[in-house]
Amino acid sequence: MTDAQKTGKYVGQRVTRNEDPRLLTGQALFVDDVDLPDMLHAAFLRSDYAHARVRSIDVSAARTRPGVVAVYTAEDMGDFWRPGPLIVPPPSKVEGIVFHARTQIPMVKDKARHIGDPLAVVIAESRYIAEDALEDIIVDYEPLEAVVDLEKALEPDAPLVYDDLDSNLAAHVIQEKGNYEAAREQADVVIKRRIVIDRGAAAALENRGVVAAWDAKSQQLTVWDTTQAPIPIRNGIAAMLGLSEHQVRVIAPFIGGGFGPKIMMDQPEEVLVPWAAVKLNRPVKWIEDRRENFIGTTQERGQIHDAEIAVTRDGRILGLRDVFLHDTGAYDPYGLTVPLNTQSHALSAYDVPNYYTEFRVVFTNKMIVTPVRGAGRPQGIFVMERMLDLAAKELGMDRTEIRRRNYIPPDAFPYRHVVIDQAFAELIFDSGDYEPALDKAMTMIGYHHFLKEEQPRLRAEGRHVGLGIVSFVETTGVGPYEGARVTVESSGKVSVVTGVGTQGQGHFTSFAQVVADQLGVDVRDVRVVTGDTAQFHWGTGTFASRGAVVAGNAVNCAASNVRTKVLKLASKVLNAPEEELELADGQVRVADIPEQAISLGELAVLANPLRGAVEPGTEPGLESTDYFGPKTCATAFGVVAMVVEVDPETMLVEIQRLVIAHDCGTVLNPMIVDGQIHGGLSLGIGNSFYEQLVYDENGQLLNASFMDYLLPRSTDMPPLIEIGHLETPSPLNPMGSKGVGEAGALPVPAAFAQAVEDALADYGIEILETPLSPNRLFEIVQAARGADE
Amino acid sequence: MSALRVKEVDVDNSMTISVTVNGTRHVRTVEPRMLLSDFLRHELGLTGTHVGCEHGVCGTCTVVFDGQAVRSCLMFAVQADGHEVLTVEGLGTIEELHPLQEAFQDAHGLQCAFCTPGFLMTLVPFLDENPDPSEDEIREAIAGNLCRCTGYQNIIAAVKLAAERMGT
Amino acid sequence: MELQGEFVFDGSREEVWELVRDPEVLSSALPGTQSLNQVSESEYEGQMTMRVGPVSGVFAGKVVVSDEVPPESYTLAVEGRGAPGFAKGTGHVQLVDQGDGTTLMKYEGDVQIGGKLASVGQRMLETVSKSMTRQGLETLNQALQARKTAEAEGREVEYTPPSETEFAMSVARDLAGEVFSPQHRTVWVVVAVAIVSVAIGFWLGRRK
Repeated sequence: MTDAQKTGKYVGQRVTRNEDPRLLTGQALFVDDVDLPDMLHAAFLRSDYAHARVRSIDVSAARTRPGVVAVYTAEDMGDFWRPGPLIVPPPSKVEGIVFHARTQIPMVKDKARHIGDPLAVVIAESRYIAEDALEDIIVDYEPLEAVVDLEKALEPDAPLVYDDLDSNLAAHVIQEKGNYEAAREQADVVIKRRIVIDRGAAAALENRGVVAAWDAKSQQLTVWDTTQAPIPIRNGIAAMLGLSEHQVRVIAPFIGGGFGPKIMMDQPEEVLVPWAAVKLNRPVKWIEDRRENFIGTTQERGQIHDAEIAVTRDGRILGLRDVFLHDTGAYDPYGLTVPLNTQSHALSAYDVPNYYTEFRVVFTNKMIVTPVRGAGRPQGIFVMERMLDLAAKELGMDRTEIRRRNYIPPDAFPYRHVVIDQAFAELIFDSGDYEPALDKAMTMIGYHHFLKEEQPRLRAEGRHVGLGIVSFVETTGVGPYEGARVTVESSGKVSVVTGVGTQGQGHFTSFAQVVADQLGVDVRDVRVVTGDTAQFHWGTGTFASRGAVVAGNAVNCAASNVRTKVLKLASKVLNAPEEELELADGQVRVADIPEQAISLGELAVLANPLRGAVEPGTEPGLESTDYFGPKTCATAFGVVAMVVEVDPETMLVEIQRLVIAHDCGTVLNPMIVDGQIHGGLSLGIGNSFYEQLVYDENGQLLNASFMDYLLPRSTDMPPLIEIGHLETPSPLNPMGSKGVGEAGALPVPAAFAQAVEDALADYGIEILETPLSPNRLFEIVQAARGADE
Repeated sequence: MSALRVKEVDVDNSMTISVTVNGTRHVRTVEPRMLLSDFLRHELGLTGTHVGCEHGVCGTCTVVFDGQAVRSCLMFAVQADGHEVLTVEGLGTIEELHPLQEAFQDAHGLQCAFCTPGFLMTLVPFLDENPDPSEDEIREAIAGNLCRCTGYQNIIAAVKLAAERMGT
Repeated sequence: MELQGEFVFDGSREEVWELVRDPEVLSSALPGTQSLNQVSESEYEGQMTMRVGPVSGVFAGKVVVSDEVPPESYTLAVEGRGAPGFAKGTGHVQLVDQGDGTTLMKYEGDVQIGGKLASVGQRMLETVSKSMTRQGLETLNQALQARKTAEAEGREVEYTPPSETEFAMSVARDLAGEVFSPQHRTVWVVVAVAIVSVAIGFWLGRRK
């Protein structure tokens, strides 16, 4: 904790948000709100086939439709057509990796590799006309057999997504710690299971969109993009168009939810819309519609695990072996981030001395896989927590007891896991104290009371109630770095600019709190700007639960340096030693002598002289730009518990109680943190029961709308989510914070599976998959009954 | 996505309509197939109403039409001819928030706020008819609006808070 | 998607066999058919407007008849493509003489659907295809009866196939029957007048 935090009045408080009045009154700019004179509208023709050779695309009729200004295919792009950059290369530290990079292309040239693969773009006077023109385009497809099933895709005679590769294997990675085989020999119990996890969508309420405007006279390109990473987008667009980075300004205004897919970069639309705008010298807008979002925006979660755990009679884990297939879809631009996260998180919160983990990434004719809130972590947690539950059952042990016995003890931090994680460094858990989280969650859910009294009583009444309680960890605050610039203005207000974007996490408030405490100003007098490359152009973006940790610490650092400058200058002006000065109410004053004061605004003017000279080695103004790059990830953790009731006839599951004990280190704004946890939990509930992207054997997505892809509604959520906070500050950054954005999404499927299994204990089922549905539950129960007979 | 026709219009592809939005009468000439949501957002520049799915499920585009909450993505602008529409811009201003808006801020009932205008306009007629709703009633009332950020808990708290404040 | 069913025609197998090979009759059996031409002994080509919930558009298609065993059975291979997506399928048709002047047609087939059509939801697809098939067969049967009556009376055939609107209303009714429980029957009037999905969404938006 910083000194300012110890004495400050904002950090740690439930400060209501600075940005809300604009958002609540419809006065906040989202990308589709951008309206420019002479603006054109784009619509994309997307492949109807999951796998097909494209023999020809006839756009002649479309070009003659009144109101259509241009129609482009891959051919029309000429030299501008090229596959995008590999956004995340494979980690060099892991030996023996096989990796085939196949990055996203702006439009299809030879083969469509998933439904939704873009074939052509129409630019017209209105979106209505552009969509009409899509129907004029005639595509000569040669349909090919599609690969959809992960195992079938790796069979020797499987159709190839890439003809220049000799299989659909995109990557192969093996990592080891200790010696699992030897550990297995020592075990009293070995449990082996196949666990299957299926795809879900991020489904932010705002679909993606890009508006690009080229000013030929000033040679400036302005792009509004629903992106979580405006700076890399700017760099990518500049590189593609052969412009200087300073000729391109990318603005990520208010974004209606990110959740991962909006971090994906150089997506076809992000490349084509700016290109078209420059070519046509008119602004071009493209806004995705919901069906496009389902088939053309990235998604995640598909994996098949063959997991094995070796434990002693006392429930101590001797080793874990996890061999899995990971579905990357038709391209793999995001490298191995998701499956590496799965590898890291299959260890969950436990001291696992021996670990063998191997994954194969498979190309399939489905939409591209890149991180969605959780980014591979939920799958890892699901595997370990399920295996522990099975081991506990086998040993006749209480499920919380087995966890307790295996937790990494509080004095073992920083705990080194040996395996390499998605940040290309050794997976090291920086700090934590797991037992108190378990105790807290158990108390909150009333664990013993439920098992000993409530459950037996309700069961006697014929009701099927169950409890699920699981542990999880989350690596957060990944590097490389973020930056921020803090400036005291002549008005006395403070401006903060950082390169990350905001999609509802409250940066405009949490960062303001940090600065307000450092400089002694009112939090409402701190104006935060995010996501505008013209104002800040070094950084990566908002993802992987790192905004508060990385950008927040950069803000803190910059604010702290401004504070130093303030004190230094004020000391001269007020003729008092620095130690006697205090910053409060927008002023610097001598403690105990309030008349000896100067407002920050006046001080800022003095720091920027119009006459005289600025001393060498110093800068004008009260401003500082600083960067923060964490060495490794800060590890957040928690325990989730829920009570469910299952209706054995309809197989509908009602979550009656849901609690979470969570530790994200130093909390900047508990109100915002709670909100992030609520959101993550609701996505987790979706991933457990309501949401599943259903592809048929031809790679057709059968539920590309909210009618059939079910997001949890208010009536699907439990009546109350209880959150218990714990704080184990991270030693990796001055504020001691850890991330929390994805937290809720990680443990819910595992807890849900355990709870439903518990509720249907009399059927003796085992739940080894997620998401579930009433149909699937029914099938699982029937299979269990059939096996008994 | 092709246009959906509810009534045949034989005029040469445009109609002049008069719609009162937030108390102001607007006269415009539009294509019969223009959606009400597009009319409000792009024709009138009232971008507070957002579009989430265009197939009537998410509720993000909800506006108040002659006193009732309707999905503006499922209506045509021509259907609003001669009618009254209330959008989020008509509810309050930055300087003077409507008590419902204030309650949303105080209870942290919004994060990215893309869905928020839809919730607000669903709740305005609801609270009119149910000034003292129970938590269950609130939960039911907003079951037609999707939110991906908040998990709904704080939204429900915001409505309770607003009802209390508006009641006194 | 699998499609199977049975239908009774009021005519002999030979009469039915002739009827289903007549492109003029066929094109009237499914309103929305803009053209249907016989290009060879066993091949037909045509264009049709299709509507399934919110997805509609023009389909260009081809039908190939094979394995003909008149008047007992034949196989149909259908392929269609358009803005709403594509469909490809095979069907087997059997005609059984019921012995009382009527013919029982048994059909079974499998259709692969792709594109926008595939993503509107299988519930709607199944109901609409069953409905369209039934409608088409009913219309064919009516045409058959009109033909027989005209022949018997020695005059020209007077028969008006159902209009596109009537057809759409019928499909809408079928969909409404699947979606709404009997208590909500009064709502189907609204549904039948508007395109189905508009009405459902509107209704949902007015939840009380």
